[in-house]
Amino acid sequence: MQVLEQKPTNAESREWAVWVKGLTREYTTRNFFGGVTRSTWALSGIDFQIAYGELFGLIGPNGAGKTTTIKILTTLLTPTGGDALILGLDVRKDLYEIRRRIGIVFGGERGLYNRVSAVDNLRYFSDLYGVDPGVARKRIPQLLEVVGLAGREKERVEKYSRGMKQRLHIAKALVHDPELIFLDEPTIGLDPAGARDIRNMVRDLKAQGKTILLTTHYMFEAEELCQRVGVISKGKIVALDTPSELKNMVRDISVIDLKTYGATMDYVEALRALPNVVRVVADLESEQQSIRIQTPLGADLLPKVVAALPEGAKIIDRTIKEPTLEDAYLRLVEE
Amino acid sequence: MVSMHDLPPGKRVSGYFAQKAQVLKASIFLTRKLFFADPQWVIPNIIAPFVFTMVAFFLFQGQTSGSSFLLYLVLGSGLMGMWGTTIYASANSIGFDRWNGTMEATLAAPVPLSWIALGRVLFNTLQGVINAVFILVIGLAWFRVGFSLVNPAAFFLASVATFLSLSSFGLLLTTILLLSRKGGFITNSMEIPVYIATGTMFPIILLPIVYLPFAFMLAPTWGIEAIRTAALPGYVGLPTTYWEDMVIMAAETFAYLGLAFFLFKRVEAYAKRIGTLEEY
Repeated sequence: MQVLEQKPTNAESREWAVWVKGLTREYTTRNFFGGVTRSTWALSGIDFQIAYGELFGLIGPNGAGKTTTIKILTTLLTPTGGDALILGLDVRKDLYEIRRRIGIVFGGERGLYNRVSAVDNLRYFSDLYGVDPGVARKRIPQLLEVVGLAGREKERVEKYSRGMKQRLHIAKALVHDPELIFLDEPTIGLDPAGARDIRNMVRDLKAQGKTILLTTHYMFEAEELCQRVGVISKGKIVALDTPSELKNMVRDISVIDLKTYGATMDYVEALRALPNVVRVVADLESEQQSIRIQTPLGADLLPKVVAALPEGAKIIDRTIKEPTLEDAYLRLVEE
Repeated sequence: MVSMHDLPPGKRVSGYFAQKAQVLKASIFLTRKLFFADPQWVIPNIIAPFVFTMVAFFLFQGQTSGSSFLLYLVLGSGLMGMWGTTIYASANSIGFDRWNGTMEATLAAPVPLSWIALGRVLFNTLQGVINAVFILVIGLAWFRVGFSLVNPAAFFLASVATFLSLSSFGLLLTTILLLSRKGGFITNSMEIPVYIATGTMFPIILLPIVYLPFAFMLAPTWGIEAIRTAALPGYVGLPTTYWEDMVIMAAETFAYLGLAFFLFKRVEAYAKRIGTLEEY
C-alpha cells in the first residue's frame, strides 16, 4: 500500500479514510498566573493511514496515546502539531462535516443517558446528527433489533447490563449511518459472551464496507479482527503491519503456557532468571493462575521450569505454543 | 431477523433552519424526559414556589392592604420562582452532561453546543413559567387576591418577553458555568442578589444607588416592570413607560443571546484545546 509523506492532494486523499502525519499533542498544566507548571507529550509525532473499508487496530498500554489519538481524529481535541485528514477533511477546520460522517463508540459506561430509554437515547442522537425523522422512525427499531435490544428498548438504560449498554453504544454510533467508525475499547469489562457479540457486530460492519478504527487491550481481539495493527507506545507508533507480519517479529521464540496452583512471585522470578528465558508474564491473582514463558528453547526448557517449582505448588496444565500477537506486542512495548 | 445490511440509509434533513429546529426539539424533549425521570422535580416546582409565596405574604402581611399590593407580591413571587428555576437549571443543563458522562458524546455531535444548551434552557425556563403560574394560583386562591389586569394583552406579551429574556440570560449563565466545576456555588451566590436587584419583592428604587447599574443590566428587571405596569392599576415604578421597558428588555435579551453564542464558540474552542471539559 502506498504511503504518502506529504499532505495528500484532494484526489489522493480520496484513497485514505484516515491520513495522519507527524501528529503531536502536548498537555500542559498551568498555574493561577497562566505559567506552565507541567508539560507532557501524549503524542510525539505519529504517522499512519487507513484505507477505505479497512479494519485498523490501534493497540498499546494505558497512557500510550490511544485515547488522545482517537480524540484528535474525532475532532474532540486539537492537535499541537502535525496533520490529520478524516475522509479527506481536516480535523482542525472541518469539524461538523467530519462529525456528521463518523460514529464513535466510547468504551465503558460513558456516553448514554441512563435515566431514559434506549429509544429515547437513539431518537435524541439521531436528531442531533440530523437524520430525517421519517428515516429515523424506520432505522431505530431495526438498529435495536440488529444489536439485540428489541423488546427491552423502552426500559431505562440504568437497568441494562454492561453488555446491553455496549450494544446500545454501537446502535448510537450507527444511528446516522456513518462511513467511518471509531471503536474505543468496545469490549472492555464485558463477559466473554458479550464481548463475542460485539466482535460479531464489528465483523458485520466490516462486511458492510465500513471503515473501522478499533482500539483494544485484548491482543487476540486485534489479531482476530484487524487487517492491520498499529502498536503505540509512549506517544509513538513503534510498529505497524498485519497481525501475521507483527507475529513474524517473534518467530524466533516459542511460548510455554502454564496453568498452575500455588505458584508464588518467587517462582516467577526464578523462571525469569533461567537462561534463555526472554520474558515471563504471570497472573497469579486469578482463581486459575497462568504463567506465560517466552523462550527460544521451546519444550527443552520444561525440565528446568518443573525443577524450579516450589514445594506445594503444582503445574495443572502446560502447552507449547507458537507466539501470538500478544508476544510481539510485549516485545515492542518493552523495548 | 434484520441484519446490518437491511438498515435504511441515514438520509439527513436539509436546510439550516430545519436542522437547528430539529436540534432544539431534540434538546427540549430530552430535557423534559430527564426532568420527569427524577422524582426531585417536585422540589423546585411544587414545594419551593409554595414556600416563596408563604414567606412573601407573611413578611408583608399587615403592613399593607388592598388587592393591588397583594397582586404586586404574587407577581414578584412568581418571577422569583421563574428566576430560581432558570438559574438552577442553567447551572445544571450542560453541567449535567459532565457528571453523567455524556459530555464527550454531546461535544462530538455535529451541531454547535449553543443550540443544544438553548433547547435545555428553553425547557427549564418554561418549567419556571409553570412554577410561576403555580405561585399565582396559590397566591390568588389562598389570599383571595383579585386578578383583574389593567391590560391583559400587554400582560401576556410582557410575560412571554420576560420568559425569553430569562432564557437568554440562562443561556449566558450556562457558558460561564460550563467552564467551572463549581456551578452549584456560583448558582447559590447569584440567586439572592438577582432577586433583590430585579425588584421582585420591592421597588429597585429603594436600593442603594450603586446597585442600580447592575439592576438595569438585568433584562428581568424591565420584564417585571412591564408586567406590573400591564397588571396593576396606577402602578408607579421606574420612570419608564411599558413600551420603553419592553424595548430595553428586548435589546438586553439580544445582547445576552449574542454574547452567549459568542462565548459558546470560545468555550468549544477552549474545550478542544484543553481536552478535559468532560471531566467531572
